Amino acid sequence: MKLLWALAPLLVTAQTISKPPVAPGRSIYLSNCSLCHGATGEGGRGPNLSSGTPVHGTTDADLRRVISKGVSGTPMPSFRFEGSEMAQLLGYLRSLRTTRVAVEKAPGDAASGHVIYEKLRCNACHRIDKSGSVYGPDLSRVGAGRSLAYLRESIVNPSADVPPVYRGVAVTAADGSRVTGIRVNEDSFSLQLRNIAQQFVLFDKSEIKEMGERKESLMPPYSNLTPKELDDLVSYLASLRGAITKQGVKKGVEVR
Amino acid sequence: MRSVFCAALLMLAVRAEVPYERLVNASSEPQNWLTYHGDYGGVRHRELDQINTANVKDLRLEWLFQVPKSGRFETVPLVVDGVMYFTAPEGHAFAVDARSGRELWRRRHRIPENALLVGGSINRGFAVLGGRLYMATPEGRLLCLDSRNGEELWDVEVGPWQKGFGATSAPLAVKDKLIIGVAGGEYGVRGYLDAYDAATGKRVWRWYSIPGKGEPGNETWSGDSWLRGGAPPWMTGTYDPQLGLLYWGIGNPAPDLDGDVRKGDNLYSSSIVALDANTGKLVWHYQTMPHDTHDWDAAQTPMLADLDWKGQPRKLLFQGNRNGFFYVLDRVTGKFLMAKAFARQNWSRGFDETGRPIYEASIDPTPDGNRICPGLAGGANWMAPAFNPQLKTFYLQYFEECHTYYSMPQQFKEGKPYWGGTYQSIENERKWGNVKALDPFTGEAKWSFEFNKPSWVGTLSTSGGLLFTGDDDGYLVALDARSGKLLWKINTGASMATAPITYMVKGKQYLTMASGGALLTFALP
Repeated sequence: MKLLWALAPLLVTAQTISKPPVAPGRSIYLSNCSLCHGATGEGGRGPNLSSGTPVHGTTDADLRRVISKGVSGTPMPSFRFEGSEMAQLLGYLRSLRTTRVAVEKAPGDAASGHVIYEKLRCNACHRIDKSGSVYGPDLSRVGAGRSLAYLRESIVNPSADVPPVYRGVAVTAADGSRVTGIRVNEDSFSLQLRNIAQQFVLFDKSEIKEMGERKESLMPPYSNLTPKELDDLVSYLASLRGAITKQGVKKGVEVR
Repeated sequence: MRSVFCAALLMLAVRAEVPYERLVNASSEPQNWLTYHGDYGGVRHRELDQINTANVKDLRLEWLFQVPKSGRFETVPLVVDGVMYFTAPEGHAFAVDARSGRELWRRRHRIPENALLVGGSINRGFAVLGGRLYMATPEGRLLCLDSRNGEELWDVEVGPWQKGFGATSAPLAVKDKLIIGVAGGEYGVRGYLDAYDAATGKRVWRWYSIPGKGEPGNETWSGDSWLRGGAPPWMTGTYDPQLGLLYWGIGNPAPDLDGDVRKGDNLYSSSIVALDANTGKLVWHYQTMPHDTHDWDAAQTPMLADLDWKGQPRKLLFQGNRNGFFYVLDRVTGKFLMAKAFARQNWSRGFDETGRPIYEASIDPTPDGNRICPGLAGGANWMAPAFNPQLKTFYLQYFEECHTYYSMPQQFKEGKPYWGGTYQSIENERKWGNVKALDPFTGEAKWSFEFNKPSWVGTLSTSGGLLFTGDDDGYLVALDARSGKLLWKINTGASMATAPITYMVKGKQYLTMASGGALLTFALP
């Protein structure tokens, strides 16, 4: 250990020099918030701060209130920051919200993309607003929460990034029957799946012979679209930002 | 008939008082639950067998009590002669009829609106002594309540919240004193354990868990890092009335994850200490993690047991530690007798003859991240362990997980979090909750029981051959203490973060557990 201590300051100096300077709000965030909300706001013990609709509001005043007062009945404690620190932190929290990527200009034609969406029957697994299936991710606000590159990759290579909640689970029941579906819930003693027919398939774990998580996405890759079709479809998805009500709150289910 | 009635009334009136002698002999009153751990030794075993391996399958809900606030309901209730006393988050306190759950009184301590609450608004329970109840408040105060009506008798500051102190643990009543430590290890406080006069609230002694300038041990902190080195004794300790010694697990050094600014062993952070209960003087210490950089405190219950060790009767101390090791010490001298890993770990190569751990080459957090097991929360944590003296088996629930630890230089500011880094879960690496039954003589597992998720639920052992525990999904379970076989379970509907208790009133045994915002009590039909 002594040797390590002797070397450690040198290592830290080297790291500090080789890395670009970070926003001051980031270090405040990392040292105060990241243990619960994740190093990049992806959530953990606390809610995801990078996407979705925050339960306690989105304005600076909302965030300031939640941070300085905590959230009653939750592990979220109250924090006391000086004015300048609070401003830096709020700035960093705003930057975490991936909605900022929505300003990218999509190259294709959204109307044509909508037609392709219908033709491919994407709604057999996805839904937009209240139309479609609840099997796969809700796309009502997918344009507000995802970059164009991410949308494109999700179509041609959906296995590149499968959100944990949409990983397929394959079960062989004690009676030999097989089910593949999305894990709606699981605990120590039971498992709840949803199949592609949007039915719940419910197990007591004593009824399961074998279960495993699929590495590949349940969504097939759509790699045979023409470049134009792909541009159009990406444009259509990018245009999906949810509705805005009179209160200024965006409707739509959290994009995962 | 009349004289019998009067005698019974009189007896009840006398029994409502809990003098020190009753606390010393708490295990001989299995019908009651008189301290946070149920007994001074932290054994958490009850000689009650009405509910047993044969009939536990019939256990059913008897009553439930809803508290005003939900969230982390971490209380361990006390039961005194048919009356249950418990605390709830946000300064709430209650007394209820332990058979029916009907309320006898309720009180609320108002937490100042602007107070920084370093441990959230939680509370872990009461201490009782005489006719009085004692509770900590999240902003760092100690309250004394009249057990007859909950009236506040006095209220003293243990540590100022403005400087990052807090208090969440149940105080420990010893003789005429209340022992309580501060929280605030993530805020760069200098930790201490206090004793207060039970009658007046006047402070009797204070033991700093970080030695001051000129005191032995201060040299284990580089520069002036000892001034903000954390090491808070944030959980409830144990006590040996014969030896007159308090045993306390001490918190992690601050900043948690950046050891560069506090070179040295950092005594007495991440240590088990023995203090003279009368004076607060240190008698011995054993440091589980010299110069810890993983938030691996030693705050877990230091459990006391008297057993034959290698053929000789010996006063022992057991601890399932956050670093993933089970420790056995001689509690008279503090001598290290054994350590054995119960969780996956990749930081220790073994121990030298004094019990000092030999670290692997690179265990510290780095700017780019270092995968180390266990994770930041452990290993074990404050989930209560239990010991079955008939089966000579130690039980604990702990987390099976690893984390990537990052270090990050950070400027200290009073009253501000002082982590010096961060951590992340490792994607696609399985983590789960594990309950293990350990042979205390070898540290080997007799059996283990897996929960789907890492869980914050402690254990309770009974002479009915049962081990009660639960999980983060809300299952309260009864396992066969011999085999770990699942005998009973119920989905309580909310995650749990404390440990069950058992007690008896008028010949009927009950089991009580806090879940979500409700206190649930079970019994046989």
